Amino acid sequence: MNQELTTPVENTWCPGCGNFGILNAFKKAVQILEAKGVDRTYLILSAGIGCHGKIFDYVPLSGLYSLHGRSMATIQGIKLGNPDLKVLTFAGDGDAFGEGISHMIFAAKRNADITVIVHNNGTYALTTGQFSPTSQKGFKGPSSLEGNPEPPINPLSLMLEAGATFVARGYAGRIDHLALLIVEAVLHEGFSYIDVLQPSVVFNNTYKEYNSLVEIIEKPAERLEDAVQRAKRFDRMPIGVFYNVTKPVFHKEFYGEWNPVMNRLSHEERLQRILSILNNRSMKEVEDMKK
Amino acid sequence: MNDDIFTFLIAGKAGQGTKKAGIVAANFFASLKRNVFQLNDYPSLIRGGHNFSIVSTSSRKIYSHYMKADLAVLLDQRSVKSHRNHLTEHGLLVYDDSTGKQEQGIGIPIASLAKKYSNPDLIVGVAGIATLAAAIACDRAILDTIIQKEYQRNAQDNLSYAHEIYDKVFEKIPEQFIIREGTDTHPILTGAESIGLGVSAAGLDLYFAYPMTPSTPILHFLSSQGKKLGVRTIQPENEIAVANMAIGATITGARSMVGTSGGGFCLMQEAFSLAGMVEAPVLFFLGQRPGPSTGVPTYTEQGELLFSLYPGQGEFPRIVASPGSIEEAFYLSAELLNLAWQYQTPAIILSEKHLTESSMNVDLEPGKISEVKPAIHTEGKYQRYRKTDSGVSPLLFPPSKNMIKWTSYEHDEDGYTTEEAEEISQMHIKRRTKRESLIRYLQQNIQTVNEYGSGDFCVFTFGSTTMSVREAIIHAGLSCTVVQPIYLQPFPSWNLTKFAGRPSVVIEQNSTGQLEQLLREKCGILPMNSIRQFDGRPFDPEILAQKLKEMIV
Repeated sequence: MNQELTTPVENTWCPGCGNFGILNAFKKAVQILEAKGVDRTYLILSAGIGCHGKIFDYVPLSGLYSLHGRSMATIQGIKLGNPDLKVLTFAGDGDAFGEGISHMIFAAKRNADITVIVHNNGTYALTTGQFSPTSQKGFKGPSSLEGNPEPPINPLSLMLEAGATFVARGYAGRIDHLALLIVEAVLHEGFSYIDVLQPSVVFNNTYKEYNSLVEIIEKPAERLEDAVQRAKRFDRMPIGVFYNVTKPVFHKEFYGEWNPVMNRLSHEERLQRILSILNNRSMKEVEDMKK
Repeated sequence: MNDDIFTFLIAGKAGQGTKKAGIVAANFFASLKRNVFQLNDYPSLIRGGHNFSIVSTSSRKIYSHYMKADLAVLLDQRSVKSHRNHLTEHGLLVYDDSTGKQEQGIGIPIASLAKKYSNPDLIVGVAGIATLAAAIACDRAILDTIIQKEYQRNAQDNLSYAHEIYDKVFEKIPEQFIIREGTDTHPILTGAESIGLGVSAAGLDLYFAYPMTPSTPILHFLSSQGKKLGVRTIQPENEIAVANMAIGATITGARSMVGTSGGGFCLMQEAFSLAGMVEAPVLFFLGQRPGPSTGVPTYTEQGELLFSLYPGQGEFPRIVASPGSIEEAFYLSAELLNLAWQYQTPAIILSEKHLTESSMNVDLEPGKISEVKPAIHTEGKYQRYRKTDSGVSPLLFPPSKNMIKWTSYEHDEDGYTTEEAEEISQMHIKRRTKRESLIRYLQQNIQTVNEYGSGDFCVFTFGSTTMSVREAIIHAGLSCTVVQPIYLQPFPSWNLTKFAGRPSVVIEQNSTGQLEQLLREKCGILPMNSIRQFDGRPFDPEILAQKLKEMIV
């Protein structure tokens, strides 16, 4: 793996796309994480399907390029297979809040130790701009010529209510700020959610709006209710960490310190234990009486 | 009957412990060194309804329950109505006469005697065991030992209740049954337990499942015994998460399995195809019950054979096999987990409620099971999808200095997405080559078809129906050859075409003849007869034997 974190794959995002900001912020985050002792070989990635997912091909790190809406299930599986790994997925707003919303809610509910970064552009861009779960009401696309009839989902308040222990919002136009959010999310033990405001230059160009509305949060809310209230503000677009608490994580609640691939029972030990289960099956007490 | 089969039936409401009594009876017969087969029949509810458990035992190996009982213990009126005619020629019916209503058979106040104990509803199962003990002239001390071991809660109540029932039955019974001792004791396992032990032996690490009958017993067994065996069970939010988590876990090198039934497997189609594309070795357990849709959750069928052969979109190698006995389930489940890793492709254990939830005594040799290691990358540049002669690319698990990319898009050898014509073709050829290598391996190393008995007449069957068929043939002393394809995908036509042209029948538990279609399509075998049952119940070997006798002249 090269130090510059580049791959030979041709980048096919539209010039000016917010995804470039996320890619650059992620590369910076990897460098900072390495300085903090997180070896990049332990950082395992996934992605859903959509424009955002191409990021999987643009960084030379290991992982599994998953299905639309399933990457948060994929990385929970990776974490359960080897809890020593740090797992992170990129997802689109369609991935996370359309196709895969149940996985998001349950990952938050069980405080799975994973990081989900949603490239929230409020449109299905790779399929040419239909409305998505986070599109504004009235959004016009090829399947909603008269405007999206549904109000948008609020990803931040939903994740907070579902039990996420780290919730943040970043902006693709503030790369250094976003990089630090990613670092913090990866280091956080528990379910980390970052909603990234991502302008789609072709289908939902929101640069102007976000540039005037974003304002950096100095520190996370102490109380969940305050974090939720902040997440529901629309007059400004607060970016930064909304909420950050420590709670027991799923794999440890479940396994303790056990690691399936590092602490495997030997084949011989397994066979011995199977034999002992089989031997304990018979009604020996009755047999003994008959002797 | 021409051999020493003895059948014990206990029936009552859900919550009255009929299943437990069946299990205890089976273990009791096993302690007499006899062979047993136990069937549990229950509707999809928790209290009330009508449940029964049948245990058939013989001094020879026995592969099925019999519907006609030598001793029937019927705990309520509904059971009397349902089973009063299910008796052998000398069969004895013992019923609850607490209501005062008289029936043919021996009336015992089973319910009213239970009233003075705590949990009078739950205790009546004990009456079944006490009745059995009295009917086969078992020493009361042995009965005490059984009750103390198997019914530990409120042990004193259970003991005195058992004594009351035992004495009453003993007094009223006209003639006791003589149960000969057999020669060997072997543990009794359900099919689900056998599968759970088999995959544990082959190195399973993680079992993912969302509860669904009839696969749930595997989840329960591995939840209770898995820790001892090095296996953990995880119950995610739905079947989609189940399959995707299992795929994720495999990329770390963890051996992963999922369990489900038809409806849940429908939800896993997308992930099954993902496993085919990224080449993830996930083992699926597909337990059949009558469909379509929600169907009949707690009964049995073989209606998903054709469905199981081509799950998921696109072209990739799939492996499907179905065990024909509870013993075979142990070895086959292990073999399929190994094959999935050898060929890095999803595999399916196809089975039925009749196998997972029935039990019989088994003679297992865990030492025969190995944990086959997959091909592992050793040196040089790593490419997840490197082209090889066999189509199988060596694996590497994170953390690694090498980049390991598993990709759901069509990909190049490095695992990067591709839309290049040449690379698309090459990867199709790679996956096709894997299937060809797999077929060669099956042909050379794996028993893909079982044959039992001899005789020109061929009886084709598969899955748990094999047990019913074998029992019918032994029982009736018929001369024929049972042919059971164990592997169904790839279909082992190399071992089957030799049977073409012989007089034959296909016996299966579905209405359209799915195995028959496969035999015609893949092997040119044109069976002369078919016996199909699709009422949710497994075959009764006696009825099956009658039908077979008419065909084999």
